[in-house]
Amino acid sequence: MITEELLQVRSDIENNLRMLLGRAVMVTELDAFALPCGCNGITANIRGLELDDIEVFEEQMLIYFKKTASRLGIPPSFIFARLIPGSSVVAAINWRVLCDRCYPDFARARGKTPRPDIYIMHLERRGQKGTKKG
Amino acid sequence: MKKKLYVPHPGHFDGLKELISEAGKDIYSIFMAGSPDYVGTGRSNLSSPQIEDIREQTEYAHKNGVAVEIVLNSSCMGGRHLTPEGFNLIHWYLEQLDSCGVDTIVVADPFLVEAVAKDFSMKPVVSVLSFVNSPEKAEFYYDLGASSIVVDPDVHRHFDVLHAIRDAVDCELKLLVNEGCLYQCPFRYAHFNFFSHAFGPQPRPNVLTDYYYERCILLRIKDPRLIINSPWIRPEDIHEYADVTNVFKIGGRTHYINWILNCVRAYTDERYDGNLMDLLDCPKDLKDLYYISNRDLDYAINHWKNCPTVCADCGFCRDLTEKAVRMYTGGGTESERLIEWSKIADETAVHA
Repeated sequence: MITEELLQVRSDIENNLRMLLGRAVMVTELDAFALPCGCNGITANIRGLELDDIEVFEEQMLIYFKKTASRLGIPPSFIFARLIPGSSVVAAINWRVLCDRCYPDFARARGKTPRPDIYIMHLERRGQKGTKKG
Repeated sequence: MKKKLYVPHPGHFDGLKELISEAGKDIYSIFMAGSPDYVGTGRSNLSSPQIEDIREQTEYAHKNGVAVEIVLNSSCMGGRHLTPEGFNLIHWYLEQLDSCGVDTIVVADPFLVEAVAKDFSMKPVVSVLSFVNSPEKAEFYYDLGASSIVVDPDVHRHFDVLHAIRDAVDCELKLLVNEGCLYQCPFRYAHFNFFSHAFGPQPRPNVLTDYYYERCILLRIKDPRLIINSPWIRPEDIHEYADVTNVFKIGGRTHYINWILNCVRAYTDERYDGNLMDLLDCPKDLKDLYYISNRDLDYAINHWKNCPTVCADCGFCRDLTEKAVRMYTGGGTESERLIEWSKIADETAVHA
């Protein structure tokens, strides 16, 4: 049952982040999503995490987040944090499999924050599987 | 003197019937939001009862010996109430509420306190969002015609200030027992102004995210002392306020009836053997993170009654946090358990 797996993964993400940071973090919700454009993936809504935490532990988090994606059968092609615009508050981590229409929006962007509410942790450009976002 | 409980009501008739059938004898008054089309409130709206709903519910409540209070406590109306059109519209709405037999109206704006006192038979209650935290401010509102003042929770543990307010005015004082907001919250004014517009009359801002809420939650996850030193009043401690007032308000009109009834039972019995987080109106998200045994906080009031509230020099709440706050790990799975908050780093490393 997919929801049982989601329950366990929610708890495991929370525990992993707590272990990395040595303090409380809360994953308030873990959702699988499918959009009308064709994008799909999972979203972990998170409380207690800031952009600084991601910047310091990005490498360790990414290894774990990629494993999490594989565990749920999602290609770990695009992983980003959603921020509260204008602040360092992280609202969610997203694992998104981009559709052909949405892919260019992100692939053409430069830098880690193509929009004020998005911090890209990992983006595989098509034809460059396995390489980090430049 | 018998305790008077003001109890939140989400606004729908079925909810009112359930509240009254389950706990009517313990409820002095219910309170609910009015229609946001006229004046907003300090909370989001689960429902916005129209005039006829309010009339019907007021008749039903009165028949069952329960008073009705309508909350119109917008902390910012953008000056609209001072325009001729705005004034006429709000005055018309207040006339309608008065004709419904509503007993009290909670308002935050001094202008509305005076207008309600002057023109209507229902009585004005000064909202918690008027931030009455001194005898001077209480006197000011009393002179405008306030029949009741909901005291700023920031002074709940400043008993000298509470006594001074009590001595300064002859009107009723109410204490909001379970708000659970940050002590000396830096977001308070901005957040309630935001709510007033986001859940008030049109045009409403199209907001992406509630920054104040997210930041507040983040602070409390990083440091649960900010929950312990928040100025809630435990059910067991309300008798300590007997020389201030016998009127207590339970916050939570955006919660389910079951949650409200649990609070009513706790504050009626003046005892709760569970998680303190079950009783706090805000931050409700964190009840699945923290478990704070309410009974572990017995006697803390003895310190708070004489607390100088200079936290940097004290450490009482920090020590209490280390002793009393436990945190869920493995939430929602078979391995769910509680760990001491102070040992989180060790515990998560061992079980990861």
